[in-house]
Amino acid sequence: MIKKIVNFFREYNSRNDEERRTDRLYAVSAIFDTPNEIMAAASEVSGRGYKKFDAYTPYPVHRLDQAMGIKYPLVGPIAFTGGITGLFLALLMMWWMGSKDYPNIIGGKPFFSLPPSIPITFEGTILLTGFATVVGMLILLNKLPKINSPISDTEFMKRVSSDKFGIVIAADDRMFSETQVTELFRSLGASRIENIYYKPSNLTDKTPIFNRKFIMTLIGVAAIAAIVTYFTLNIVLYQVVPFDWMWKQARINAQSESLFFANKSGMREPVAGTVARGFMPYEYKGLPDSAVRLLANPLPVSKNVIEKGQEKYNIYCSPCHGYFGDGDGRLNDQFPKPPSLHNSKVLNWKDGNIYHVITNGQNVMPSYEGQISRDDRWAIVHYVRVLQRAKNAKDQDLPK
Amino acid sequence: MSYDATYTRELPLVTSRADFKEIDQVLAHPTETKPTKGWWIAFGISFTALMIGALALTNTLYFGIGEWGNNQPVGWAFDIVNFVFWIGIGHAGTLISAILFLFRQRWRTGIARFAEAMTIFAVMTAGIFPIIHTGRPWLAGYLLPLPNQNGVWVNFLSPLLWDVFAVSTYFTVSLLFWGIGLVPDFAVLRNRTTNKIKKTIYSVASLGWTFSNRNWSNYERAYLILAGISTPLVLSVHSIVSFDFAVSIIPGWHTTIFPPYFVAGAIFSGFGMVSTVLIIVRKVFDLEHIITINHLEKMNKILLATGMMVGYAYGMEFFIAWYSGNTFEQFAFINRVFGPYAWAYWTMVSCNVFFPQLFWFKKVRTSIPITMVLVILVNVGMWFERFVIVVTSLHRDFLPSSWAMYIPTITDFGLLLGSFGFFFTFLLLFIKTMPLVSIAEIKAVVEGAQPSIHPEPHGEGGHK
Amino acid sequence: MMMELTTPKKLPASVGKWGMILTAVGVIMGGAAFAVDPHRAFFGYLWMYMFLVSIGVGSLALVALEYLVGANWSTPFRRVPEFLAGIILLLVILVIPLLFGMHDLFHWTHAEAVAEDPILKSKEPYLNTTFFIARTGVILLIWLIFYYLFTRNSRKQDISKDPALTASSIKYSAIFAILFILTISFTAIDWMMSLEPHWFSTMFGVYYFAGTLVAAISISAFISVSLNEGGFFGFKVDDEKYYSFGTLMFAFNVFWTYIGFSQYMLIWYADIPEETFWFMNRMEGSWVYFSIGLLFVHFIIPFLMLLPRSSKVNPNLILYMSAWLIYAHAYDLYWIIMPTYFKDGFVFSWNELGFLVLAFGIIALVFNYMASRFNIVPVGDPKLQRGLYFHLN
Repeated sequence: MIKKIVNFFREYNSRNDEERRTDRLYAVSAIFDTPNEIMAAASEVSGRGYKKFDAYTPYPVHRLDQAMGIKYPLVGPIAFTGGITGLFLALLMMWWMGSKDYPNIIGGKPFFSLPPSIPITFEGTILLTGFATVVGMLILLNKLPKINSPISDTEFMKRVSSDKFGIVIAADDRMFSETQVTELFRSLGASRIENIYYKPSNLTDKTPIFNRKFIMTLIGVAAIAAIVTYFTLNIVLYQVVPFDWMWKQARINAQSESLFFANKSGMREPVAGTVARGFMPYEYKGLPDSAVRLLANPLPVSKNVIEKGQEKYNIYCSPCHGYFGDGDGRLNDQFPKPPSLHNSKVLNWKDGNIYHVITNGQNVMPSYEGQISRDDRWAIVHYVRVLQRAKNAKDQDLPK
Repeated sequence: MSYDATYTRELPLVTSRADFKEIDQVLAHPTETKPTKGWWIAFGISFTALMIGALALTNTLYFGIGEWGNNQPVGWAFDIVNFVFWIGIGHAGTLISAILFLFRQRWRTGIARFAEAMTIFAVMTAGIFPIIHTGRPWLAGYLLPLPNQNGVWVNFLSPLLWDVFAVSTYFTVSLLFWGIGLVPDFAVLRNRTTNKIKKTIYSVASLGWTFSNRNWSNYERAYLILAGISTPLVLSVHSIVSFDFAVSIIPGWHTTIFPPYFVAGAIFSGFGMVSTVLIIVRKVFDLEHIITINHLEKMNKILLATGMMVGYAYGMEFFIAWYSGNTFEQFAFINRVFGPYAWAYWTMVSCNVFFPQLFWFKKVRTSIPITMVLVILVNVGMWFERFVIVVTSLHRDFLPSSWAMYIPTITDFGLLLGSFGFFFTFLLLFIKTMPLVSIAEIKAVVEGAQPSIHPEPHGEGGHK
Repeated sequence: MMMELTTPKKLPASVGKWGMILTAVGVIMGGAAFAVDPHRAFFGYLWMYMFLVSIGVGSLALVALEYLVGANWSTPFRRVPEFLAGIILLLVILVIPLLFGMHDLFHWTHAEAVAEDPILKSKEPYLNTTFFIARTGVILLIWLIFYYLFTRNSRKQDISKDPALTASSIKYSAIFAILFILTISFTAIDWMMSLEPHWFSTMFGVYYFAGTLVAAISISAFISVSLNEGGFFGFKVDDEKYYSFGTLMFAFNVFWTYIGFSQYMLIWYADIPEETFWFMNRMEGSWVYFSIGLLFVHFIIPFLMLLPRSSKVNPNLILYMSAWLIYAHAYDLYWIIMPTYFKDGFVFSWNELGFLVLAFGIIALVFNYMASRFNIVPVGDPKLQRGLYFHLN
């Protein structure tokens, strides 16, 4: 396997990459030896009125663009546009996420305010300015990448990338004539004049990097990588400590077994005589008469209390008694139907009696002492009164 | 300029007037040859350190961050110290490449590329720490502004989130800056190499750069803009790192001078690290006439200046703590200087303020061995500065009953060592694969590289 | 390649005349302000004094900065900040009335208030009249000494053309750089931070330092550009040379913003009452509009105006923006100093205006006097020719 790969690269390396040139002329190039010569030459070529020409230098030569007559106003505006976009996007993001979509109070600070938003706004501005500058310069203005231009792989390119200064007049310039251009270069003192011809691949427009097979391979690799990453992170890794979201932990779950204790129960019983917080024994267990006589509702009749009572009634009472106390609850078929709460017996009960029934249970109804707290039981009593009054409303109860 | 005196004239940026071919030769040489024995030894050492760090990291990931020495109340310790330290190291790169570029300090050319690479690797190193510090780093994606399963977004009021934005922006923009600097150099390598594989790689990496002057002029403008935005960016990044501490109400953390003080410290430590590495690299790769003693002297001057800025902040903090009349503030600073971690404080002050005073003497500035010792001390001192800020402020705060000491564990040290391994491994790979000094830029500052005539422009403009 | 220097034109007489008029008007208005309400007038006077400190000492710092970083472009214009630094000579006299107004200005000078305030009591070793005056004296002395050293070297060089003088100035400037930051910080703490003796911020010295740089570079830019456009230097450099002025104004101003924002944001965020009250004073009543105005005057407007490259080489724009930034610095100082006196809301009237007029009168007179006595171009400086031939990139 490895041998195969090595061989492949060996072969690739030894392949002759010199592409034969076609006979279609791309441009005429000239090489100059000093920066002064290139300045003079660029100035002269530009002065003669050539438009599609370019100077080639191993490093930026100061003021050469002035000699060539280039103006370059675009990078700045592109960068500025990027910056402004970044600024507003960052502000918008923070405002929307932090104060519109899911406002959260943090440290008593406003959902959105300017001082703490400045850092991220600033970073957003810089980030998009940077992207805009680089993308704008490389791709929009310089039209890169162009890996396979006719000028690459020429002797001319080798020299101007190292120590010489070159100038090129393109064959599609309006004023181009091979003899005139050559003559012009000679008169300017060029040390080497060379015609550059198109490569066959330039004319057929087949850049090896951008051919369909390559692109498809890239997309395929990307898709496979994405799927593999997804499964690794979300399925495979999920099974492995410590990546399992702490599902497996060294602890005893409720109701589970533990060999540590003699009775093999993971849970411990409370110490004998333990009283839960807020626990009050019910004094009237089995003594309905005293309950009726002595108990009075301690809660005020207020909107909050009644709403609390409604909530608890709907949870604990309504399954049998129904939402309105008619005894038509949702469990109708499974349990005996309880009597209506609007019969005259219950209507005439005192609060303490209702409370006692909830706490103590009656006939089939079990005690709800363990499920519903004392205050909630009293709140339910209030709510039952509300239901009774609503069912037996009189004229004067109606709002005017 | 007949009465130009020697010390007001700029020293030549490249000693021993090299011609362009020779520059190509020298700078491309490390990328075109097999690694030397020295390189392998260095790589071996740093790779070993990296592996030790990997062990420590595995330990941390498997058993959790309880393997570290962090405790209550010292919830932040080596993790954050290392983060701030490495982020600081990263600042010199952008400073050299951007700020000195804007100030037209042309001597930066020799060291800019290298320093930028250091920035990138230092920020990468730094980035590891806050992520592993979260305890479950594989969930770090939620640091980005993504809603979690309950639809809650990230907390935009948290300076830790600002850090995420600042550090990632800084990394990206530094990478762009470094990347566009490398484009023309890859093109040089592309034209030099005879190896087909290398050629393909370099062609793609250089994007087919043609050295056309129409491209150069856009390129230079873009470079200027990138330098322009990197300058405030570099200030903002360490300022935001300082906000992590300064927006709190912990005495010793909440002081308003933190942002510029952190920035000065970052530049200081960054230059320390750049000097440390450059002194070795210029020797090993025979770049002594490109990275000259003059460069080192200028960097030493900057070290002196930034060291004093840091000293100013130490003094001002102390003075205002007293002046504030706030007992907690006063105690925090007295505890730093005379408390159980006083040794760390005095290490910091000596390495950062006292020893660099030797740079007042030209003899010291131009002596390589002394510089080497001093810049290593700067690195040590700046690491301790972060230690002092993080640990001593936390270990004794408002409530004496919860005071505690912090003692690092072997895992902590393993990660610290590993961070150096990580950084140097990348740096060594960079040295071997890319030109250490910007070839195009260095050519542009060679004597005689720029034309002495300025012809008047012709025509109204070129073709589009 | 030498640019011939012709003899510089004399400054027009109107500079001196306007200096006299402004000073006279300022003295009359200031005197009237003292007559009407001395307590209020002391605050106005302090405002003027701090403004002159910014310009005088800031200019000296610019001179030192040029030596320190070895800048060439600014050498032809260096005499402008050197002349402006002459204001330091007057500061010694101008400070005297303030010493008599300390009781009006500083709450901590009231012995009865200090006695019942434990925090002020604890600050007494620093905030007491004797030490305060001693500090002010020492600081002024340091400025005078360095003013003397720099100008002496510079003037000597006009005649001797001895480059060794530049070397010695470089050494002085390294020392002055340190002393400048220390003295300007403590000036800020003493004269402005201690107006609210309970308030403290480690950044305050740096904040004022950043402001002085903005003021000094702006006034240097204003004078250099107007003189160069009028041909008063004996040479005429092209507009490209203004680029550095524009850039530095922009950069120093952004630095000021950065410092100001950091100080505000950190105090806003931590929200500790003993720090926030200083900003609360500036957020209450009509001061809030003044505070918001500061953001626009000192940051947003100059930032947007100076951002494009083209505006940094445009002489008219540099003139406008430098004048604007000088105004912005005066605005900033007003914002720092005056809320201590005008607790209820923003007030600005002839009582304060007079002192601003006086400040500009003094600046014009000092500059005119210096320009009539000394060379307006450092003709003996070895860096001068390179400065004249300075090119961007």
